[in-house]
Amino acid sequence: MHEYEARVLGLLAKNKSVSLEEIEESTGLGKDSIFWAVESLSKAGAVSVKKEGAKLVQVSEEGKRYKKEFPEEALIGRLKAAKKEKISSIKDQIALGWAKRNNWVKMQEGSVSLTDEGTKALGKEYQQRALLSELDSMEGMDVNDILEKNKEVATALMKRNLISIKQKTTIREVAITKLGSDLVSKIPKDLGIGALTKDLIKGSEWKTKPFRPYDINAPTEASYPARPHPVREFINVIRQKWFEMGFIEVEGPIIESAFWNFDALFSPQDHPTRDMQDTFFLSNPKQLTIEDIELMNNVREMHLAGWKESWSEELARSAVLRTHTTSVSARYMKKLAKAMESTFPTRMFSIGSVFRNESIDYKHIAELRQYDGIIVGDNLTLANLIYTLKSFYSKLGLDDVRMRPSYFPFTEPSIEFFYYDNERDTTVELCGGGIIRKEITKAMGLNKTVLAWGGGVDRLLLNQKIFGVESLPLLYKNDIAWLRARGNIKV
Amino acid sequence: MAIVAFDLKDLQKANRSKEKLEDVLTRIGVEVEELSKEEIKVNITPNRPDLLDFVGLSRAIEHFTGARPKDSFYKIENKPALTINATGQIKSVRPFIAGMIVKNANLSGNRLKYLINFTEKFAETYGRKRKKIAIGVHNLSAIEGNLTYEAAKEGKITPLGSKKSMAFDRVMKEHAKGVTYQDTVPNYGSKSVLYPVLKDEKKTIALIPITNCEETKVTEKTKDLFIDITSTSQISIRNSAAVIACSFLYAGAEVHPVGITYDRQGEEIPKLEYQEVKVAMNRAERTIGIITGRHNVIDLANRMGYTAAKYGPNVLFYVPPYRIDVLDEQDIVEDIAIAYGYDRIIPLAISGVSVGMSNEATDYENKLASAMVGLGYTEAINSILTNEEMNFKNMRTTSKQKDYAMIAESKTNAITMLRTVILPGILQDLSASANATMPQRIFEIGRTFTVKNGKIKESKRLAIASEHAKADFSEIKSVVEAILRYMEGSYKIENDNDATFIQGRCARVTLDGKVSAVFGEVHPEVLRNFGIEEPVVAAEIILKEE
Repeated sequence: MHEYEARVLGLLAKNKSVSLEEIEESTGLGKDSIFWAVESLSKAGAVSVKKEGAKLVQVSEEGKRYKKEFPEEALIGRLKAAKKEKISSIKDQIALGWAKRNNWVKMQEGSVSLTDEGTKALGKEYQQRALLSELDSMEGMDVNDILEKNKEVATALMKRNLISIKQKTTIREVAITKLGSDLVSKIPKDLGIGALTKDLIKGSEWKTKPFRPYDINAPTEASYPARPHPVREFINVIRQKWFEMGFIEVEGPIIESAFWNFDALFSPQDHPTRDMQDTFFLSNPKQLTIEDIELMNNVREMHLAGWKESWSEELARSAVLRTHTTSVSARYMKKLAKAMESTFPTRMFSIGSVFRNESIDYKHIAELRQYDGIIVGDNLTLANLIYTLKSFYSKLGLDDVRMRPSYFPFTEPSIEFFYYDNERDTTVELCGGGIIRKEITKAMGLNKTVLAWGGGVDRLLLNQKIFGVESLPLLYKNDIAWLRARGNIKV
Repeated sequence: MAIVAFDLKDLQKANRSKEKLEDVLTRIGVEVEELSKEEIKVNITPNRPDLLDFVGLSRAIEHFTGARPKDSFYKIENKPALTINATGQIKSVRPFIAGMIVKNANLSGNRLKYLINFTEKFAETYGRKRKKIAIGVHNLSAIEGNLTYEAAKEGKITPLGSKKSMAFDRVMKEHAKGVTYQDTVPNYGSKSVLYPVLKDEKKTIALIPITNCEETKVTEKTKDLFIDITSTSQISIRNSAAVIACSFLYAGAEVHPVGITYDRQGEEIPKLEYQEVKVAMNRAERTIGIITGRHNVIDLANRMGYTAAKYGPNVLFYVPPYRIDVLDEQDIVEDIAIAYGYDRIIPLAISGVSVGMSNEATDYENKLASAMVGLGYTEAINSILTNEEMNFKNMRTTSKQKDYAMIAESKTNAITMLRTVILPGILQDLSASANATMPQRIFEIGRTFTVKNGKIKESKRLAIASEHAKADFSEIKSVVEAILRYMEGSYKIENDNDATFIQGRCARVTLDGKVSAVFGEVHPEVLRNFGIEEPVVAAEIILKEE
């Protein structure tokens, strides 16, 4: 008999039937140890166990916001006033989806309007919200009955990630059986030397008395080392690869002027990615200053000559969250042009956050990480670019990298690197790049050829050979249980 | 990027196999998005709106596989048979118009569908959702007399697909296209709204850029067409007219220009001009990094639709008028690279070495992260995007709107601002980790942003939190002091009353005279706000501030 079993049984011999808390208190054992001992004794028929199952609910952050109003309620509220709204102007597709599912709205000729049922719903309490509020007030309590009663609505709330349910099983009561009582008498009085102590070491008892053998198969609590985030670990791997290839690491601002993010890179001012739909613009501060007036004039000339359309300084000054780290490369090109002494070829890279105005769900996140790089020198070719990036990916264990033509306003020729994912039967884009247009280098005053590229850091972590995380939102959920037990970066 | 679909059989002429077709498309830079038994979907990059067209895409395939038209194939020899008079206030609404007459067009089979899809996608992408370019296709025989392009306060049209004549404002409110494209009409919704309209001598044939009239509707049997293009930009309208005219010419139809008069100033559109671009003989090879020879270079350019003249140290390339993306020789060099095949280019190492060097700030972050991991803390990474409830209200703090960075427009109300503190993020992480065993110790190193006098102030910070039944002030003080010793400086710890923490159990640190950290036991109301059930002690340390 294991010591833990003996301790539990010993306690039961005195008390017949005890609760989990009482066992904890009297034996000084941890919960996991007690569970194991009780389970083991119960299998041997020495004790009988009463268990208790409870369902605990947790309302998500989003759920808490919905307590006031669900987005589909807001939508029909708006429709009541406006009568009609065009589908394309409705940003919240989730709200529209639920309003449709509830038969609250109908869609005709590209616009949405209320149904009779929708009009009725306006005066009534929304089932989903009623249940959500009830559950919110019951956090930490058993909500099994409520969930059973409102199965359909509860399932909907779970699917929308507004609530999560945890199943909890715990020991309520342990009682000793007749067999157990018989066993008590067989517990030897002296089990041998238990834990080694300072006094024991000093003394000589251990020379004569046996050590009580431990059950080496008894379970222990899992230990997990504290760890850096996998994204930090992987970024350090990528940095290392660029260092090996002779690259200098540089960083730049996250909040950037449209000028550095778009204009300096020859992106036309009416380009669709410059829409609020795709890029985060700031409303405070709305504008940033462009320090280099000469450069700004050069960039203006470049736009007028290339796109043959008007160019607005005000638009260029808009504050945006950078959409790519190519803005850092652009700033570095300008810096090189100004520097008196530079040796060429110069190789530079940067890694940092980039932003897309995405609706956040299980597949999309708005902040991602990117690596960007440039090589500046004379007579550099597309073949040099291909060599550089193939070497880089090969260092990450990706050997079957292929290339195809692509388009970016700032490179000519433009190229995309990708690989074929056999498991998913699809091609996966690695990075885009090319040779920076000479209009841009000219505007910067840099009389050199520039090879440039940029690719996603996070998406590489989806690759099985590198890390193999299921999804990007999971990567950034920071669930401590996951962070502790996650696998290693394999490169 | 725009996705266009075609029936596979239409692109598979001349017994081209499915695999061969996919290969050719990939090699000319057209990504195949989906390939089923009957249909092919391709992804067209925004620089090549000419490929949105069935004729344009077929032409690119034909060039690449061998066939090409003569140098001066694209030209318009006919005289204008129709005039559009642009008058009045149209100048301030949607100033530019172009037209063309197409005779003997073939719209049978899928051709009509492809033509309509092309004009729609073209207006959607190159035309910036019809704001910049809109295209209307009409049955020529239903047009009566010459045309007038003007801005009208009101009027009536029988919109496409409808049987009844409707007032313009009703079309805007009730017709699907009217609802979708409301914002393309300047001042729509105000009393001063003026609608751009195109009229013949009897009726309004188009409410621009919303809908054509039902009377001029085109069917598969229509042979003769009138096409109108309207725009806010003169260069775009010329480009668009060229792309469309070339498409019809390549398909074997006749194209006749239309005369445009703007307050007596006349113009004929479309004008088809070949841009002439000189490329130094070895420029292509030197940019791509290949040695293939002059004849090959010219042959490769031919396969991308260019014709070459004048041999010597320079080659003169004629750029066909539909290639509106070509600015100069760089674009032609790219096409030569594409025709050569990216996969065929032999990777070449760069001569000349350089020495790698890390960024000090990143190194410092890494060292600090190691120290935190050594103290038993696991690292989290949260987004800098947040909202006021999370950043302030949950933390029992407030701020003036002018003091933090706000997002102008986002698709979700979870994102309205940039974080000013890191702590809320890791408290949220603790809340989401309720199933992990205690103690839970977590940290994050990241950037925060505030606004001072209209300028962004960025700071780099370290936030630390520890959650378990016995978490108390002395635990967090011990960790903060360990980090302060690591940061090397003389520090002072004083009482603080930050509302996030319990009063009397909160301290502030000044390091070398500057406030650099706040720590303490997190207030129970904050814990409740985040749905955390056990005590948490936490710290936020400023590492670097602008």
